[in-house]
Amino acid sequence: MSHFSAEQEQTLMGWARRYPYRIMGLLEALRQVQEWRRCVGDQDEEYLAKLFDYPRNHVHELVTFFPGLTLRPTGRYRVGICRGLSCALAGSAAMCRCMEKSLGIKAGETTPDGKFSFETMECIGACDHAPALIVNDKLQGAASEQSISELLERLP
Amino acid sequence: MTKVLTEHWDQPRLHELETYRRLGGYEALKKVLGMDRAQLIDEAKKSNLRGLGGAGFATSLKWSTVTPEEKNPGPRYVVVNCDESEPGCFKDRVLATRNPHQLIEGLLIAACAIDAKQNFIFIRGEYQIQYEILEKALAEARGAGIIKPPVSIDLMRGAGAYMSGLDTALLETMEGKKAWPRQPPPFPTASGLMGRPTVVNNVETLCMVPSIVLRGGEWFAKLGTAKSGGTALFSVSGHVEKPGVYEFAMGTPLREILAAAGGVKGGRKLKAVIPGGVSTPVLTADELDTPMDWDGPRAQGSFLGAGGVIVLDETTDMVMVAHNIERFLAHESCGQCTPCRQGSYWYVRILERALDGGGVAADLDTLRRTGEDMTGKVICALGDTVGLVTRAMMKKFSNDFKAKFHGEPPHG
Repeated sequence: MSHFSAEQEQTLMGWARRYPYRIMGLLEALRQVQEWRRCVGDQDEEYLAKLFDYPRNHVHELVTFFPGLTLRPTGRYRVGICRGLSCALAGSAAMCRCMEKSLGIKAGETTPDGKFSFETMECIGACDHAPALIVNDKLQGAASEQSISELLERLP
Repeated sequence: MTKVLTEHWDQPRLHELETYRRLGGYEALKKVLGMDRAQLIDEAKKSNLRGLGGAGFATSLKWSTVTPEEKNPGPRYVVVNCDESEPGCFKDRVLATRNPHQLIEGLLIAACAIDAKQNFIFIRGEYQIQYEILEKALAEARGAGIIKPPVSIDLMRGAGAYMSGLDTALLETMEGKKAWPRQPPPFPTASGLMGRPTVVNNVETLCMVPSIVLRGGEWFAKLGTAKSGGTALFSVSGHVEKPGVYEFAMGTPLREILAAAGGVKGGRKLKAVIPGGVSTPVLTADELDTPMDWDGPRAQGSFLGAGGVIVLDETTDMVMVAHNIERFLAHESCGQCTPCRQGSYWYVRILERALDGGGVAADLDTLRRTGEDMTGKVICALGDTVGLVTRAMMKKFSNDFKAKFHGEPPHG
C-alpha cells in the first residue's frame, strides 16, 4: 500500500508507460505529484524512485534542480510575477510589493490557509504583457494593482 | 511585404483544423509524401532556412547529417524545442497559440526528411495554455488521420529551468535528468534522445517548412538576404508603444521593426536596443540601421539570437539592465561549469554593490577579467553570455558605469 489512491497510482503508471522509455515519464510524474500534494515529499520520492526504477537521490536531484518542483508545500494557487528585463522595465518590482502586501506574505512564502503562495519568476515568455502575472502555469496578462486585487478575489 | 507565418493571423479560429485546412493547411504534407527525402532536403537547402531558435544553424544541414538508417538501425526522433525562455522572446508562445497545426505540419515534414516515426514537442511548463492548445490540435490531427501509426507526436512539459531550452540539455531533461548541457561531439544528430539520432528544431523554424515545400525553397530564399533566407518573427518589448510579434523579411533594418511597434513609448528618446534577447550584446541608438539577419548584428558585435528586440529609452540605467540580465543568468546557471557557476554569482554581487551605491572603480576591471575567463571556457552559450553582455554595455555605455563605479574598496 502506498500513500497514493488507486486512481493516483494508475495515473502515475500512465506516465511511466507513456513514452518509449519509462524514465522519460519521470519529470511529468513529478509534475503530477507536485500538483496533487503541492510539493514532492520523502514518501513521494521513494515511490517514484521505485516506479521508475531510478536511484532515489536522482529523483531528489530533479526536485531540487527544477524551480517548478518544491520540497515544501506551495499554496493551491501558485501566483508568480515575472522579473525578466522587459517586465522589470514595466515596473514588476512595484507589482511584487503590491502582491506581497495583498497576500500578507513575502515572495517564496505561502499564506497560512495554504491558498496562495507567491514567487518571483524568471522570464515566462510574456514580455508583451509586462509585467506578466501567472497562476499555476497559466498566463493571466499584465499585473496591475487592479488586476492583482481582481485576481485574488476571483480565485475560489 | 510577403508574410510566411503571420499571413492568416487575422482569421478567426485559425487554431482549429478546419480553418487551417480551408486556408491550404496540410497540402504541403501531401506533396511531401510524393517526394523522396533527398528532394525534400534539397528544397530546404535552397530555402536558406536557418534555425530560428537563436543558433542559426542551417536546417537542411541538420537534417542531412542525421546518421542514416543503414549505419545505425533503429528509431530516430524529431524533437520540437518549445521551451522558449530567453527574456525578450515570446514568438513561439504566440505561434503555438495562434497556429498549432502549422507547427504540427512542419514537424511531420521534418519527420519525413529524417524518416522519424516517433516525434515529440517539448514545451516549457509555464506554457500550460499552449500545452492544452497543442493537445487539442494533436487530437484533431490524429482523428483526421493526418498523424497515423507508425508516426506519432507526443507532448512533454518542462518544470521551469531555462537550461532545458538548450538542445542537449533539453534531451537530458526528456531523459529524466537535470538540465545539464552535453559537451558535443557527438551532436544530437548522431546521438541524441536516449542515444538515438535526433533532430531538435525550434518552433518557428518548423512553422516555416510547410510554405517552403509548397512555394519552393528558391521563393523563400529570395524573401531574405543572400545568407539568411526568408522572413523572421521579432518579439518586440520593453519601452515601446505596441509590444508584440512582428514578421519582417530577413535583413530589415532594426529602425523599421521599431517603427512598426509604434516607436519608443511616450515619445521619449531611444537609448539602446537589445536585438535578439538578453543574451545578445546591446546596440546603441546610432546602430538602428543594422540589418536584422544573421550577419547584420554580428557586424556590431552582437547576434540576431531569437529576435527578441528589447527597447530601452533614455531614462534607462544600463547598470540596472546589466544587473537584471546577470541575475537572470546566475539564477539559471546549471552549475556544471565552474567559471559560469562562480562567475555569474560574482557578477551579480559586484553589480548589486554598485546599484546600492558602493561601486568600486577597480571592479570594472574585475568584471572585464572575470568575463574573459568565462567566454569560450564553458560548455554552453549561457556561460559565454555571462561574460559578454555586461562587457558590451561597459564598452558602449561607459558613462553609466563610471557614474556607478567610482569609489574605493571598502577595506582600503
